[in-house]
Amino acid sequence: MRFTIRALGWIIALLWIITLILPVSVVLSLMKLAEGKNMGIQEPIFSLSNGNLSLTIPLYINNTGFYDISEVNVKIKISRANDVIATLLENLPDIPAGLMVNVSCTFSESLNEIFQRYRALLTEDANLDVDAALHFRVAYAVAFNIATNFTTKWGAPFQNLTIYDIAYNITTHVLSFSISFNNHAFFPINEPLTIELYNSDGKKVSSSSLSLNVPSGESFQEKIEVNVDPSKMTRSGFIRLFFSGLKIFEEEWTLS
Amino acid sequence: MSELVPRPNRRKLGLRIARAFLLTAASGIFWLIIWFLASMLLANFPNYQMLFTVLAWGLLFFTFAIALAEGTIYKYLLIIIRAFFLIVYLAYATNNGILTINFENFALTVEFLPLLALMIVINLLDIARGLLQAIEFAAQSPKD
Repeated sequence: MRFTIRALGWIIALLWIITLILPVSVVLSLMKLAEGKNMGIQEPIFSLSNGNLSLTIPLYINNTGFYDISEVNVKIKISRANDVIATLLENLPDIPAGLMVNVSCTFSESLNEIFQRYRALLTEDANLDVDAALHFRVAYAVAFNIATNFTTKWGAPFQNLTIYDIAYNITTHVLSFSISFNNHAFFPINEPLTIELYNSDGKKVSSSSLSLNVPSGESFQEKIEVNVDPSKMTRSGFIRLFFSGLKIFEEEWTLS
Repeated sequence: MSELVPRPNRRKLGLRIARAFLLTAASGIFWLIIWFLASMLLANFPNYQMLFTVLAWGLLFFTFAIALAEGTIYKYLLIIIRAFFLIVYLAYATNNGILTINFENFALTVEFLPLLALMIVINLLDIARGLLQAIEFAAQSPKD
């Protein structure tokens, strides 16, 4: 029994030493990692294709610490007035001790899906709440989670969308009107805009498509002329605009 | 002769108390150093001061009591109680191994469940050792 008691005493002492040394060495390891240029973020790359918005952040980490870094992930939650618009999660590979790792943190989200749920974002600028969190585990034992939140401004791609100067040429059966808007979004608009005109009975009198190529931050203004079906034409009606299959605008028109 | 009997006991008790005080004072200095070192890292954790003070005073009390109970079975009983106290208090004070510090716009959460589990295992081993020591002590001194 005496031997067992002594053995237990040694095991307890050894485990206490490990328990006390581990957190101290983890902190030292992180301090070594934080010093110098062991971590760096390169310029983020935005891209928009097929309605999918991608944000790629290339970064490098030179793990000069004593321990491997695992479970590295970045989570970004974007919300507006407590309504979650998008949640983006990117898992990064493990970073073994003594190695330098180049990784790309890529977030991808379908803009169409977002705009389907939050159409107002297409035409109204808004303040969005962003919750960002970085999670990682050192020595497979101690996990760190650094979270921050901030507000960012969302620029609507069709801010101040207006239709004006509506006129109808009874001889040529052409309805003309002007469209204007400002592209406040950080991406260019290069998808077509579908215009549908309805009479006062709700019957479609015309449908056409307008090709758009509006760079970010630019204004758009154009006079549109569409042929209408004279048999269905009335003195008033309404106009609908669609972008990527989503109705973004509806307004009544009346001929003077 | 009967007047001479209590003298060695009193002296023995006095020595035991003095030894207990010395051990507690040494422990106090040790905890003071730990407090200085830990304050550099943990000063921003909420209630750190209060939680550390309770832990340090609790362990100082046990150091004193265990030293005072030297040579009796109560020493092992106190060792077991101390281990239980550490298990419960460490789990409570560390919020089950998840601590959060809030800076201006940042929140840093440190999760060290494996370390807490290790500390609990150590204290369970301490309880087992205390029990074995108590059994051994009882077997050796039937008077107790």
